[in-house]
Amino acid sequence: MPRRANFSAQTLALLGALAGEPSSWRHGYDLARETGLKSGTLYPILVRLADRGIVEASWEAEQPAGRPRRHLYRLTSDGLAAATAALAAAAGLQPAAVPGPKREQRPAPAPRRSPSRRRLAGEGT
Amino acid sequence: MECRGGAAMERLDGLLTWSLGAVARLLPPERREWAEAVQQEAAHLPGGWPRLDWLAGGLWLVVREAHVVRKFVYWAGIGGVAAIAGWALWRSWTNVPRIDVEVGTDRVRLLVAATALIALPWIGRRRGWFGPVGNSVAARLGRVAGCAAIWSPALYLVRLDKQTGQTGYSPGGINWLQEIGGLVLLAAVVTVPLIIKAMRPAAETSTLWSLSGMAAVIVLVILPVQMLAIVYIAGILLATSRRSVVTSASLIGGAIAGLVAALITNQLASHVEELGLAVFGLMVLVILLAAVPAGTISAWLVSGHQDQAELREARIRQGLLAGTVAGACCGLVAVTFEMFMVFAMVLGPAAGLVGGALGGAFADQHQLPRRDGSRAAGFFVSSS
Repeated sequence: MPRRANFSAQTLALLGALAGEPSSWRHGYDLARETGLKSGTLYPILVRLADRGIVEASWEAEQPAGRPRRHLYRLTSDGLAAATAALAAAAGLQPAAVPGPKREQRPAPAPRRSPSRRRLAGEGT
Repeated sequence: MECRGGAAMERLDGLLTWSLGAVARLLPPERREWAEAVQQEAAHLPGGWPRLDWLAGGLWLVVREAHVVRKFVYWAGIGGVAAIAGWALWRSWTNVPRIDVEVGTDRVRLLVAATALIALPWIGRRRGWFGPVGNSVAARLGRVAGCAAIWSPALYLVRLDKQTGQTGYSPGGINWLQEIGGLVLLAAVVTVPLIIKAMRPAAETSTLWSLSGMAAVIVLVILPVQMLAIVYIAGILLATSRRSVVTSASLIGGAIAGLVAALITNQLASHVEELGLAVFGLMVLVILLAAVPAGTISAWLVSGHQDQAELREARIRQGLLAGTVAGACCGLVAVTFEMFMVFAMVLGPAAGLVGGALGGAFADQHQLPRRDGSRAAGFFVSSS
């Protein structure tokens, strides 16, 4: 029996933000502003979601002038399905009733230095 | 980006940025990029409070992910145990009558216990039997509290030594034959089952260790008392190591039952003159009865076995272990109240073993409601 994923309200807010623009790579401050989460809450959630393979992370391919490269995040294909299901469940709807955002062709991310894509068995996808 | 708020804010900003870079080294290598991500993102934020707040969040991320608080508490506990041990040794050497053969016996006892406290974790690190400590709070607390409790009777001995000749207490002269023979016997109790198993692989492992356990109880009675310290320290380290088969429920249930039993036996000990020798039988009975609920609860909570026979075996095993923990905990605490309760350190685990087995047998057929839940994902994401 697959496990049902229960996400905290903060995690759902983050999943909602990421699912709103599933093909875009988002940076931490952008997500923090949209969700109202502080960095001390946002990043532990991102770490857990990346561990579960729901979120993928990548460094900016090109360094902006005078600034360091940013770490970027977006939902994986499985993560998008999980997020859609979780958001629908939180809203009291069936996943099938929620039109999932259409996934666009993704730009190739910069190579990751330390991929952390440990999938947990039975993720509610 | 220019920092709003003046030079002080800028300095604080610089300090936090530097601190985040420094503490990121506490994280395992595969996690460090997350601290770096927070740090680099901060450079894109407006200066002043928003950036300071962001960097402080990064520090919190490292504290969480590197388990800094847990490590600090654990090492503070280890430091506390080392301090108690050092204090007992120092007092033994400075505050008691000098050059007294009997006092020398207690000094040997303290030194043996201190050596075990240092040597066993070192051996454990190399071979994995005694360490590293398990991940649960119960294992960490159990290890630190157990090792600290070992030093309570040591301090009691030191206090008695200070009053040598006034209390009627006599530790006796040192007998090196008994000391060395004791260690050999103890080593034999541990190694003989392993040798038999290596020579006869068909031999039942649980039977061998049960016989070894019974032999250990008999051997402990004739061993010099400092061997008890070695056995207890080894037992505490074994039960709380990462490889240990003792579950958190068994550790917690056993410890609580043991503490309750110790309080009751302490009350009984105050009536020793009225009750006479019957008090010892009553104490054993109290330990046995206290171990039953500990064994029942820990067995009750065992799950994760599909096969009913396996589940039953696992439950009885946890019942036995919880009972033994209860008996050992009772013995360790009771001896703190009254030195003559040292017998409880030997008989306690044996009585607890029996009580725990009874408790495990009560719960071995219990059906748990199905729970696939896990909190492994932590605070923010959980599954149930």
